[in-house]
Amino acid sequence: MTTTPLVPPADELARSDPSPTVTVQAAGRLHLRVVGTSVAAPGVRNLVLARADGARLPAYPPGSHLVLHCGQRRNAYSLTGCGTRPGTYTVSVLLLADGQGGSRWVHGLQVGDELVADRPRSAFAPVSTATHHLLVAGGIGITPVLSHARSAVRWGRSFDLLYGYRPGAAAHLAELRALCGAYLHELPVMANFLAAVEAALIGSRIGTHLYACGPAPMLDAVVGRAGELGWPEERVHTERFSAEALDPGEPFEAVLTRSARRVPVPSGTSLLDALDGAGVTVPSMCRQGVCGECRVAVLDGEPLHRDLFLSEQERAAGDSVMCCVSRSRNPYLELDL
Amino acid sequence: MGIEHTSVPRWPAEPPTFDGRARSVTLLGLDADAQPVIAKWQAQAHAAGVPSSSLVIDDVNAAVQHLEREMASAVVGWRLLVAGPEAGVLTVSAAARSLGAVGGEVLAHVTGVPLRRLHCVHCDAVTPTDVAIGGTVACVGCGRSLHLYHHLSRRLGAYLGYMVDAEEHEPGPVLTDA
Repeated sequence: MTTTPLVPPADELARSDPSPTVTVQAAGRLHLRVVGTSVAAPGVRNLVLARADGARLPAYPPGSHLVLHCGQRRNAYSLTGCGTRPGTYTVSVLLLADGQGGSRWVHGLQVGDELVADRPRSAFAPVSTATHHLLVAGGIGITPVLSHARSAVRWGRSFDLLYGYRPGAAAHLAELRALCGAYLHELPVMANFLAAVEAALIGSRIGTHLYACGPAPMLDAVVGRAGELGWPEERVHTERFSAEALDPGEPFEAVLTRSARRVPVPSGTSLLDALDGAGVTVPSMCRQGVCGECRVAVLDGEPLHRDLFLSEQERAAGDSVMCCVSRSRNPYLELDL
Repeated sequence: MGIEHTSVPRWPAEPPTFDGRARSVTLLGLDADAQPVIAKWQAQAHAAGVPSSSLVIDDVNAAVQHLEREMASAVVGWRLLVAGPEAGVLTVSAAARSLGAVGGEVLAHVTGVPLRRLHCVHCDAVTPTDVAIGGTVACVGCGRSLHLYHHLSRRLGAYLGYMVDAEEHEPGPVLTDA
């Protein structure tokens, strides 16, 4: 099991030499320029990005996301290309009126504007040993699935795409039709979408892998039904783009073994924020238990896992915790910090 | 990389329990000792309402052919439950994997390890042997003396074997671009 490298304790950070982690991250940043924008669907803005200095962009596995530095925030958006020899990066961003500002910032970008992004990250890649790829997308969840479909067409992989959407609000529909032909199953009526998913879960030949992206309730339903129908976890891959609100949780105390400190974590404050307030900065990104960036090693105590990142086995091992959302079952949680 | 990090399986003494979370199962027993294990799993499948088909046969090739027929019509939700001597269990599991099964779809119980399958990295032949891990075996394909290394390939269903005395032999011909 690998653990995300941690930023050293605060007293070490004060030294002038930067830690290797920080250097690598800075070197991995991409300076991009907006070279095209379009409307992919009502409220969905499509951005085409190229490297500001004209150099080649790194390739990426299908289903990867790009982390844009949106002012004070860093937001992850799915790349919609196939990932092979990309001349440009494309992302499609749904404007969320009640979001935290990332989508509004993206919708304000114009051709010629420059921005900073991290290198693409892969957390939703196709499995090379699959004999068939069952792609399921709900609404704007089509974006990483479009990347999968492009790659499947390019490399001749067997696939079916079930696309559930509200009539008139489907992003990328025209290009999906041209790209996928008969392998695209358009399901603008919710009941039909659910029935098509059910039929696919019942009748997929052995060797099929399932990839689903969409709103949390849809994903929960698909994953739950797949489990009931005997799909092993290894065949079920999901990309979540929003986490539901979590309850504030019980207060506890984080015991930092390496720096010999104790940090109280009140109810309503995340472990990540409590550590940050105490001067212990843990690298973080999505702050909703999805990306895996803020993983911290647990030495003693029992984590209360609330993330979507760790596998069942990793949860049971109890030796790491995603400190942005997860808490402690006991009054104390001992961390390797 | 010591023996504590080895890929060599530690087979439990008791057969694992089939949890019934499946829609169909194929049961394969590869020796007489596997018979009671198959019967137990069949009862567990029946109790869970999961349809099963079972075959107990000591011919591993025939077992693999049976598996191929079963998997040809299998949908996700299918499981393979296989019991028998290690070499047979590994061969059948590797065949299932090559036909698209994943680890979570194969439940295995090993009744004993009378023979190990040793894969020669030099000529690709597989030598069945009763020699223990760490021992030396003559390859049936190329005759080289192979070290039976403590690494098991799930894909091949065989242990890794490499030439143990290369330094004591004349170098082989060097291939050139000419």
